[in-house]
Amino acid sequence: MLAINNLEAGYGKVKVLHGISIQVPKGQVVTLIGSNGAGKTTTMRAVTGMIKPTAGEIKLGTTSIEGFDSYQIARLGLAHSPEGRRVFSTMTVTDNLILGAYPRLTRSRPKGDIKGDLDRALELFPRLKERRDQLAGTLSGGEQQMLAMARAIMLNPEIILLDEPSMGLAPILVDEVFRIIARLKSEGITMLLVEQFAAAALNVADYGYVLENGRITAHGPADKLKNDPAVKAAYLGGSH
Amino acid sequence: MKIKQVLLIAAIVALIGFPLVIDNPYYIHLVETILIYAVLLFGLDIVVGYTGQVSLGHAGLFGIGSYVAGVLFMKLGMPIWVTIPAAITITALFGGLLALPALKVIGPYLAMVTLAFGTIIQILINEMSFLTEGPVGIKIPKPSIFGTVATEDQYYWIVCVLMLLSLLVVHRIMKSHLGRAFEALRDSPVACDCMGVSVYRYKVYAFVISAGFAGLAGCMYAYSEQYISPNTYVIELSILFLLAVIMGGRKSRIGAILGSFIIVMLPKLLDDIVLFRMVAVVLAVLFIILSLVSLSKKLTTVRKVSIPLAGIVGLAAFSFWLENITDWRLTIFGFMILLVVYYLQDGIVGFVRNYYAALTGKSAQAARDAQALLQIKPSGKDVIHAASDTTKGGTLLSVKSVLMQFGGLKALNNVDLTIERGTIHGLIGPNGSGKSTMMNVLTGIYVPTAGDVVYSSNSVVGKTSSEIALSGIARTFQNVQLFGEMTALENILVGLHHTFHSSLLDVSLHLPKYTNEESAARARAMGLLQFVGLESLANEEARNLPYGKQRVLEIARALALDPNLLLLDEPAAGLTAPDIKDLLVIIQKIREHGITIILIEHHMDVVMAACDKVSVLDFGQKIAEGKPAEVQADEKVIEAYLGGQSA
Amino acid sequence: MRGVFNIKVRAQFHSLFLSLGLPMEILLQLVFSGISLGMIYAVIAFGYQLTFATSGTLNFGQGEALMLGALVGLTLADTLGINYWLMIPVVCVFGAIQGGLVELIGVRPAIKIKSEFGWIMSTIALGIIFKNVAENIWGRDDMRFPSPIDDEPIKILGANVLPMELVVIGGALAMMLLVELFNRKSIYGKAVVATANDRDAAGLMGINTGLVITFSYALSSLTAAFAGVLVAPLTLTGATMGAALGLKAFAVAIIGGLSSGMGIIVGGLILGIAETTTGFYLSTGYKDVPGLILLLLVLAIKPAGLFGKSAIKKV
Repeated sequence: MLAINNLEAGYGKVKVLHGISIQVPKGQVVTLIGSNGAGKTTTMRAVTGMIKPTAGEIKLGTTSIEGFDSYQIARLGLAHSPEGRRVFSTMTVTDNLILGAYPRLTRSRPKGDIKGDLDRALELFPRLKERRDQLAGTLSGGEQQMLAMARAIMLNPEIILLDEPSMGLAPILVDEVFRIIARLKSEGITMLLVEQFAAAALNVADYGYVLENGRITAHGPADKLKNDPAVKAAYLGGSH
Repeated sequence: MKIKQVLLIAAIVALIGFPLVIDNPYYIHLVETILIYAVLLFGLDIVVGYTGQVSLGHAGLFGIGSYVAGVLFMKLGMPIWVTIPAAITITALFGGLLALPALKVIGPYLAMVTLAFGTIIQILINEMSFLTEGPVGIKIPKPSIFGTVATEDQYYWIVCVLMLLSLLVVHRIMKSHLGRAFEALRDSPVACDCMGVSVYRYKVYAFVISAGFAGLAGCMYAYSEQYISPNTYVIELSILFLLAVIMGGRKSRIGAILGSFIIVMLPKLLDDIVLFRMVAVVLAVLFIILSLVSLSKKLTTVRKVSIPLAGIVGLAAFSFWLENITDWRLTIFGFMILLVVYYLQDGIVGFVRNYYAALTGKSAQAARDAQALLQIKPSGKDVIHAASDTTKGGTLLSVKSVLMQFGGLKALNNVDLTIERGTIHGLIGPNGSGKSTMMNVLTGIYVPTAGDVVYSSNSVVGKTSSEIALSGIARTFQNVQLFGEMTALENILVGLHHTFHSSLLDVSLHLPKYTNEESAARARAMGLLQFVGLESLANEEARNLPYGKQRVLEIARALALDPNLLLLDEPAAGLTAPDIKDLLVIIQKIREHGITIILIEHHMDVVMAACDKVSVLDFGQKIAEGKPAEVQADEKVIEAYLGGQSA
Repeated sequence: MRGVFNIKVRAQFHSLFLSLGLPMEILLQLVFSGISLGMIYAVIAFGYQLTFATSGTLNFGQGEALMLGALVGLTLADTLGINYWLMIPVVCVFGAIQGGLVELIGVRPAIKIKSEFGWIMSTIALGIIFKNVAENIWGRDDMRFPSPIDDEPIKILGANVLPMELVVIGGALAMMLLVELFNRKSIYGKAVVATANDRDAAGLMGINTGLVITFSYALSSLTAAFAGVLVAPLTLTGATMGAALGLKAFAVAIIGGLSSGMGIIVGGLILGIAETTTGFYLSTGYKDVPGLILLLLVLAIKPAGLFGKSAIKKV
């Protein structure tokens, strides 16, 4: 579904990614883990069109999307729950969800049953259902994360990119988020999950890649990776 | 360098000798006007070129200068050596009055406010006829010097002298610590504040200085024209001034003079259709030649030149189609602004410089600076000043129950922190745990929602970033905040701004107080560069340095503040292993001077090697604290970083 | 301009009334004129808000957009004899196209190179060009715009109010309400609000934010052109009518707060009434001063505007 090959990207003179390759097969959950500063956000930004890669290839399905603008990539079916949530704070929960389906409402993607999908999303996230007419800016961190994920689902996407969904959330909420990810997985939704929380991410994913200083230092099936000392080293330095 | 001096002297001689050679009063008056506008543009360049603010009110300031002269002469019969200082001072005062509210806000606000100011001034001059004679205007004869009225030629020489003096003063100011402060505040306002240079205050200074020059220009203009009236000082004039600065070239005295020449000659050009056609054709031909040369040398692409080419050729064609150009002056003027704004951003001076550099591969600037550099010897003294308060032990900084809330998000939730003097204290935690927020609270960028921060027995909550910096807390930034367009040396010199106590007068006259401070600062700056191993790159623009070196330069700049407490925000991020080794050496040396350090890091090896004590944040709360080894083994910490066994 | 014309005439009536002991009438009349003038300012300021919200830029030539609308309207209504009310939508379309052009030529390149100076100077330049072109097409003299309705004043609370002033107030409010409704109900309107809220996130939703910005400029000029044909019958129409209006509308936008719709209406009312009263009681030359001084005062004391919110910095 999503193929990243030898991607290089950075900001001005600073190169952050030195040629990484990640494959996300259809129907699978792949996770990209690494500590802060490893390049996870840069990878996300390159894939979603927020920055232009300096080299390498990104393919969504059969279409090459490197260098495309964000809105073009979204219209091709790539939904993104961004780092820091970035919900539209002055709009209601419902409006945020409706905007998630913007390409469907404006004929860039097949329309389908928007009302039905909206209801389903609210069922999946009962907290959001309670607050459907509340302004998104007044929601707590955890609720905003739910909203960002629900908004991504509203696109009826080919693949969902989840960027650090656990960031800044209390442990209980982190559990809930990952439970929802597991549920989405069981419905066959393809996901690329970028996370700092290696353990939780590897629990829910099928396959994992470890990113360190802009390079993939390890990858493999998630349960094998869980016990890999390379993972621990990437976070806590050698001594564990 | 020699060539430059010879050219300069030749130019001055030509300038002064001009009326002796060309005896036509019309041309003398023309050159006089160019010189007068140039003085105003020197000042405007400080605001627009250096600090990067848009001012649409300088015609108003110009008008104040003229009318101070006019009113003082008409009502009180004041001679020129009273009107000139009066014009400068009063206009500067108005500049301050305008700048104080206007510079609290950014960007387009300043443009509109200065626009409003200019309009008010014009209205007031027009309406207050009891003072200004209103629309009737004021007649002023040439000034009397030693009893006799100056002739056209004599006044011309007075203007020459004043203009050359202004040139010298502006040049000296911009090369001094003041000029560096102005540039710094444009490159990175946040870093500027944190280096003890208050952005707001210096924006106001820049504006006031430029107002002073506008006042001087206005005063000279009054005597030159011998008649002033309100409808000269209109918005269009302000726009003309801006165009002049941009077209001539920012941050350049020659650019200002060139710009002045252009705007004085422009109306003449736009009035005479025959002349305009000639100039337009010449320009078009020049541009075509230039484009062909550039294309052949692969300096540019067809796409890039096509639009300006179409514009200039189109302009030439348009001029042949028109019978009468006067009616379309403003349209052409408007198109010129558009062309200049998008295709001549560095002005003619900048364009020539860049083109020359691209053609020859050399940069004249670098060659000159390299010369100057060889003359700086790093001072023998220790470049890092020991912490001023060397009482052993004791608490230097105490964070008490700080809460930092943004809307519904608690970035810092009731955090306590005690930093012991002379120690290296690590602050770690997963992404989003509140570490950078803590840094920003400690340096005054955020004001905590609740709680207190006590530094050396004084609360710093509510103090501005520059006040905090000057009281001894320095920092580096997670996202490098260097003054990109300034050299490495200049970056450090900005950090040393606090060592300068010279006044504007000391700077303008290059009095010993200033020259001593400047050379001492340069020596010390070189020493600091040496300390971090960057002395060979002293002349490189900071934005061109490799990433690792940029980070280390930030540390050197922070040290220039003579801090007691140094906050390092992820200094090892993006560094390679050998760089990290060097970093650890630097940190140790800093500690040996008794300076306390708070270190935010993700690289555990750095934390383990350097820190005496480590505090761990998670979701804005402190979850563990202790010696590095203890913290590393702490269950809660491991869970926070790697995530629980849930889901 | 408008104030001079009607106020001088009214002043003569009122010295008559004064002798009869009815000074309150004058004040009320000034207030009504002030309200209608203020609503014009508010509509122009509304345009500033639209573009500022979505792109962080605004059109320094907004006054010229109004002027072009008025002049085009004049040609359609006067020369071509088209009915005033039918002419309005045509002028609106013209305004939209003009706004789109401004964005394309002046603003888009500046946003690309992240130059604030760029769009400030280029929108000023475009304003200068439009004004000069207008002078050449329509001449430098001011002209009278035929009023679509009776010039007979209506009595409200004892004061004389021109029916056109009521049309202005109604029209301005209607326009702003329409846009608000659009923003809330239609999906495209929501896309605009989303872009204003978080441009990057809006792009991630599949919204073409570049197009949204062009659209907001088109809408902004549309409202200015609409304001132009509203105010034209009340005042003299000419190439110079826009400059002062644009500047004062900016004062209103600052006073009210660049993000508050309610704020600009209140700001407009304050400014409009301050102007008409100053112009009458002090001198018409000083008429423009209170607004500008108010602007400086608000910036000095509460830069976010009376209704605005200040922003949090992030490092």
